[in-house]
Amino acid sequence: MEKYLNKGIKDLISEFPKIGDILNEYNIGCVPCNVGSCLLKDIIQIHNLSSEDEEELMARITGAIYPDRKIKISKIKRKARLESKEVKYSPPLKRLVDEHILIKKWIRLIPTVIKNIDIESESGRRLIIDGMEFIKYYADGFHHAKEEDILFEYTDKNLDIIKAILQDHETARGHVRAIFERLKTKDKESIIDHLNGYKDLLTEHIKKEDEILYPWIDRNLSTKQVGELFSKFDEAEKKIDKEVVEKCKRFVVEAEQRIEKIKQEVLK
Amino acid sequence: MMDGCPGSKMQDLRKKEETKGDESGKRESQLGQWPIQLYLVSPMAPYYKKADVLLSADCVAYTVGDFHKDYLKGKSIAIACPKLDEGQDEYVEKIKSLIDDAKINTLTVMTMQVPCCAGLVAIARRALESAKRKIPIKSIVVSLHGGILSEDWV
Ligand SMILES: [Fe+2]
Ligand SMILES: [Fe+2]
Repeated sequence: MEKYLNKGIKDLISEFPKIGDILNEYNIGCVPCNVGSCLLKDIIQIHNLSSEDEEELMARITGAIYPDRKIKISKIKRKARLESKEVKYSPPLKRLVDEHILIKKWIRLIPTVIKNIDIESESGRRLIIDGMEFIKYYADGFHHAKEEDILFEYTDKNLDIIKAILQDHETARGHVRAIFERLKTKDKESIIDHLNGYKDLLTEHIKKEDEILYPWIDRNLSTKQVGELFSKFDEAEKKIDKEVVEKCKRFVVEAEQRIEKIKQEVLK
Repeated sequence: MMDGCPGSKMQDLRKKEETKGDESGKRESQLGQWPIQLYLVSPMAPYYKKADVLLSADCVAYTVGDFHKDYLKGKSIAIACPKLDEGQDEYVEKIKSLIDDAKINTLTVMTMQVPCCAGLVAIARRALESAKRKIPIKSIVVSLHGGILSEDWV
């Protein structure tokens, strides 16, 4: 069993598809993950299940691997266990979760943007450009930068979950670059594909961070580290132009009305 | 301040090296400073600079068995009683000065579960609200049996 604990989850699921179904039942969403290199033992630890759930889950996974043998299940070692399911973030992590809320507001508007997409009119193009600038300056420059340059320094960057998160950031940047380019060549279908790609990617990404990564990081941070993170975030934010951040916040508030206007123009 | 009184003379007792505690025999004190009473301490004292500070209600240290090992270790301290001490506005000013001038890293407020003790958290909140800097504040509530009832970021 030890060797399976140290195996990447994607390989494990393709060898034993039943494990994917079992993980799904415990709300551990490894099946749709596009990287899938996390080790089974890290996944069990990071998801912080209750003792009973972990025992049951491990028994079922072992059963899927060795259907006709009785195997002793190895317990996964970890730091203090949080028994309550309610997530309480430390102040610096809470700040990142609050930033996700604004990013999610924009993501939720993307399907409407696509439905009413107009890359010919000035206002239609402007909306997409402003949306991409929101991602570039807020989601990436303001938010991902804090994760990459500061927060992840408090984790082991060789861990597969961190690699997967960093890969998501890169993929997101790729979508934005592609949209800017396709706006020049007026390739509407490709713009729609990349908008959809960004929306799906970030929706999963934020969920992963809010529900798994951040609580796990928080459980491992000392009080001293929480204070350090908080002041490093303050320092980093001071270096960013306040007006740009405000403009990004305004964009999300106003985007809805702008989409409505474009809709009316298209109808005319 | 009050230079002549040995009971309030400032002393830096922090150890240069980490000494190993002996679990079976005598416990090392983790106190690294003097004075400790919030009324007597100076926010300008070197041991508060950028420190993780523990603001403890007086009764806490008598209640929590491993107070030194688990809570005082690595921190600078100030103690107060939110029920009996006079001049609580001065306390707010002192904590505000710890935040703005000593630029402390974090503040952990340890109180007893009795309702009046929550006043100490309220004092810390008022100080944070009036301070220019912002820092994380944690509240730890101790039961009368010495257990930890809750530990939350404020
Ligand atoms: Fe991220
Ligand atoms: Fe994020």
